[in-house]
Amino acid sequence: MSTSNNTQSLPRRFGRLRRFFQEVPLLGWLLGALTAVLAEQFVGLDLAHLVELPRIPVLFGFENALKKPELIPGTVLYVLLVYLAPALLVARLLQLPSNRLAGFLAGRWPAVSIVLHLALLYAVLHIWSDINDYRMIVVKITLIAVMLTLSLNVINGYMGEFSCSHPGFMALGAYAGSVVTIVLFTNSSMYGKALLPPAIGPYLYPLALIVGGCAAAVGALAVAIPSFRTRGDYLAIISLAFTFIVKSLIENLEIVGGPRGMRGQPDWSNLPTVFVCTVVCVAVINNFVRSTYGLALNAVRDNEMAADAMTINTQRTKMIAFLFAAFWAGVAGVLFAHVLRYVNPGTFGLQQLAEVLAMMYFGGLNSVYGSIVGAVSINLLSEMLRPLEIWKWIFIPLLLILVMIFRPTGLIAFRDFDPVRLIQPKGRPKSNAQS
Amino acid sequence: MRKMVIVSAVLLTGILMVTGAFAQKAATLKIGINAEITGDIPKVGEATKFAAQMYVEDVNKAGGIEVGGKKYLLELAVEDNEAKAESAAKAATKLVTVDEVIAIVGPQASKQAVPAGEVSNNYKTPMITGWSTNPNTTKDRPYVFRACFLDDFQGPALSIFAKDEYKFTKAAVLYDVASDYPKGLAEFFKKDWEKKNGPGSVVAYESFTTKDTDFSSQLTKIINSGAEFLFTPQYYNEVPLIVQQAKQLGWKKPILGSDSWASDELVKLCGKDCLGSYFVSHYASAGAKGATKEFIDRYKAKFGNIPDDVAALTWDAIGLIGQGIKNAGKITGDIKKDREAVRNAIAGIKNFPGITGTITFPPNSGDPVKCANIVKINDKGEFEFYKTACP
Amino acid sequence: MTVFLQNLINALQWGSFYALIAIGYSMVYSILMLFNFAHGDIFMTGSYIGFGVATALIALSATGMLALPNWLILVLTVLFSMVLTSFLGMFIERVGYRPLRDAPRASAAITGLMIGIILETGNLILLGAQRVKFPALVEPVTYDLGGVFVTNQKIMIVVVSLSLALALHQFIRRTKWGMAMRAMAFDYAVVPLMGVPINKIAAMTFALGSGLAAAAGILFGVAYPVLDPYMGIVFGWKAFVAAILGGRGSILGATLAGFILGFIEIFVAMVFPSTLRDFIAYSIILLILVFRPYGLFGEPYSVRLRL
Repeated sequence: MSTSNNTQSLPRRFGRLRRFFQEVPLLGWLLGALTAVLAEQFVGLDLAHLVELPRIPVLFGFENALKKPELIPGTVLYVLLVYLAPALLVARLLQLPSNRLAGFLAGRWPAVSIVLHLALLYAVLHIWSDINDYRMIVVKITLIAVMLTLSLNVINGYMGEFSCSHPGFMALGAYAGSVVTIVLFTNSSMYGKALLPPAIGPYLYPLALIVGGCAAAVGALAVAIPSFRTRGDYLAIISLAFTFIVKSLIENLEIVGGPRGMRGQPDWSNLPTVFVCTVVCVAVINNFVRSTYGLALNAVRDNEMAADAMTINTQRTKMIAFLFAAFWAGVAGVLFAHVLRYVNPGTFGLQQLAEVLAMMYFGGLNSVYGSIVGAVSINLLSEMLRPLEIWKWIFIPLLLILVMIFRPTGLIAFRDFDPVRLIQPKGRPKSNAQS
Repeated sequence: MRKMVIVSAVLLTGILMVTGAFAQKAATLKIGINAEITGDIPKVGEATKFAAQMYVEDVNKAGGIEVGGKKYLLELAVEDNEAKAESAAKAATKLVTVDEVIAIVGPQASKQAVPAGEVSNNYKTPMITGWSTNPNTTKDRPYVFRACFLDDFQGPALSIFAKDEYKFTKAAVLYDVASDYPKGLAEFFKKDWEKKNGPGSVVAYESFTTKDTDFSSQLTKIINSGAEFLFTPQYYNEVPLIVQQAKQLGWKKPILGSDSWASDELVKLCGKDCLGSYFVSHYASAGAKGATKEFIDRYKAKFGNIPDDVAALTWDAIGLIGQGIKNAGKITGDIKKDREAVRNAIAGIKNFPGITGTITFPPNSGDPVKCANIVKINDKGEFEFYKTACP
Repeated sequence: MTVFLQNLINALQWGSFYALIAIGYSMVYSILMLFNFAHGDIFMTGSYIGFGVATALIALSATGMLALPNWLILVLTVLFSMVLTSFLGMFIERVGYRPLRDAPRASAAITGLMIGIILETGNLILLGAQRVKFPALVEPVTYDLGGVFVTNQKIMIVVVSLSLALALHQFIRRTKWGMAMRAMAFDYAVVPLMGVPINKIAAMTFALGSGLAAAAGILFGVAYPVLDPYMGIVFGWKAFVAAILGGRGSILGATLAGFILGFIEIFVAMVFPSTLRDFIAYSIILLILVFRPYGLFGEPYSVRLRL
């Protein structure tokens, strides 16, 4: 997928290259990516040694190349041979069959087609992160960031408020979910013996996720109810106060560990769980914002009074949006707590707020697509630039400022995310037959 | 499809064989540093990095660490955890799985050290934190150690000192509620003090939040509570503000502190207001002898400031790792086995002559047994050894 | 009673900082309708610039070429730093905000946050992680007024910040430039058509706001002499609260709201257990906004939000 984005932004002389690939459907790209990660799985290490890399480059070689310039040629060669060449080659070679398959499925069982695409995407992620556990934790945290960013977009993008309450929602979710799993399924020093046999725990983990989400949603009432009477900047400081209040409350609650935090969450946030949660979150939020509720949100954003006059129940709309967004932030919080297996109120402060705001506005307002791109790119970038150490925090802000100046609404704003269109075959059937 | 990839890979292999050759692996061991270089507490990260660099340079200048008759050079892999919990976990994972370090020093603050400890323990990689006093960091984690002493020792040590030295009965405490180190210490001190002097003998128990700079309201309460001394287990950058504001509000009684006061910056930032105060410390920089003095002098010559407690504790933490490697007996080259050997060697360390005191790890625990010094800030602003307190 | 009076004085000092920073925030906010999230870090930079200027002046007077008394050094420091920080503010406006004037407001908020991070990190790179001590330009003298302790620093801080706020208020009420600024706050779209140089006004707004932040930074350095690169973050966000609580377009409103925020924080810690300070203080602010949804002095929007 990244390659298709790249080709779009390249100058015109690459237009021919682009045309060469423009009829490859998403299915083809996924197959290409799958080949690439499989290639890495089987021959990656040998190839890395061949090009004189000490090991498989973890994040496309950035971690080596930025520190040891002599490794740059090897890294470039590796990325070319292992990722680009197989992906492009297979995607192009399988253009015809994948277009046919995509067309066949999209015409008859679009649901099956979507599941197939998701399964392929999961396979790519799984195999890629299987090489190294560092990749695994990066993928997990990135997926969680996608959920957070997306849920923030519902309030800040679609409804047009400037909400600063996301760290608060996340904290509520993380703590509520952790309490559920620790009390019910683990023998901990804080709450004594497990109430239920730990063996059934993983099956009831969704329950903990829902409890976390609901806790956040209940907390969101504190922001949603004042939002009936005020908005904009005043709502922004209400939500900011909410974040301060939640953090202070948790610091004072000895029963959840106070500032020492809570440790010992079971290790249930594995990749499949996080992936499924993210997919469900994207799907549900996408359906929500494309439903009449989503349109009502936009109407409230653009002109509340007019929306009211057009028989939109603005209070109900705002309430639903807040609770809905908070729910998903809470779920993300539970997942986050179970990835780190530790929560601490200090995590949910102003830094977290700045980060999630940056990811959302970088990606783009009012756009599911944008939130995904924003969260993924900021997270990956921040990992890949680790070798720059402190200069990383000059480089990333500069990049964001430039993006804001040249694309003030974010990278991909106001774009509809339509999964059914995404899985369609590309190009006309005729040209398929010719190639 | 897979076949094709393999075929093309084989072809490439042929081409590259001509030019490529396997790099000769030098006999080096990697030690990971997981430090708070950016974020809230950059000074901590800087001190960690400096102390570790100095240690590694020393070892390498001497030709490396000798294990089983063979010398190994040390190499550092430094990762910044941005003072964020998830970044610390990522950094630890990266150090373990990508850089393949034999052991990790840091993170220092508990918010980062607890999740990073989880990672290190899962991957069976020894990790020593210099500074984290949260019991969660090492609890039930055989691979995680710390170089500092715990709150449940330091708190009582101070309360005994205040009792013996001044015969006081009424105490006041001012601490940061949002930070687990001061909070833990304040709690243990309160518990011990009230056990000795009866309930209610801590007449003021006040708090504030990290990054606060104005403590006037809390100090006013303390001053009006009739306390005979103030105990404030805060960091050296907050202590000057607390002490100066207390003086300006009319407080003239003694102020006691914890090991987090131990930085030459304290006196630089605080000036004459802090003179005459006592605090518990791992080491005293004024009048230090032997290895401690040598460390302080060299650190100062190299980096331009007197090392604070983080630097000293990092030095000991990495020293413990060095000792562990030495005691491991043999480096097999199989990183998993080596890590386990180093871990066992560290756990078995007895009477390690650290610059912050003699360190012994009790069986099945990563929390060292060591003595504390009571240090006085003398009239010249130096940290002068006053008394030893042992558990 | 003495406790109350003592805390009143404490709150006056603490509120002065919030007020000074909130004014700068509020000006940018009401005239350009921007969240200037870099403001807290401009305050931090101002404080460091003040540190640099003061250190240089002290060194200069130590060489004996110019024997300056301490009070003169302080005044010169404040003036120099205000000017220098004003330039920084104008630069930030030119680079980070002017290109975004017609963009959604939130985009400018993000550039503000990012400029803030650059200022923090830049400081860290330039000066290292060592915290610096602000030179003691005002030797503290404590007066005991029947159990209530006041220092000369406290008096100076309150007086200086109140007079700066008043001076700014007069400037905005009485001068032609001030009138242009008020007009811009009143209607952003029409004012340029009336021949008001909008870019100059915007730059001036930033210059004034940053100058005030620098003054606050130096006063802060005098009262709390430990500076660190991340000290502006909390101030920035709290000034954001105060500026909006004070309502749009009102210098006095922002000043008052700054003091109110300081009072709430100090008095909550006085009355309740101080561990619960943030919890109670911000619950109070939340309640205020539930009952006065448009701030203490603000009015409901008549203009559509530019988003």
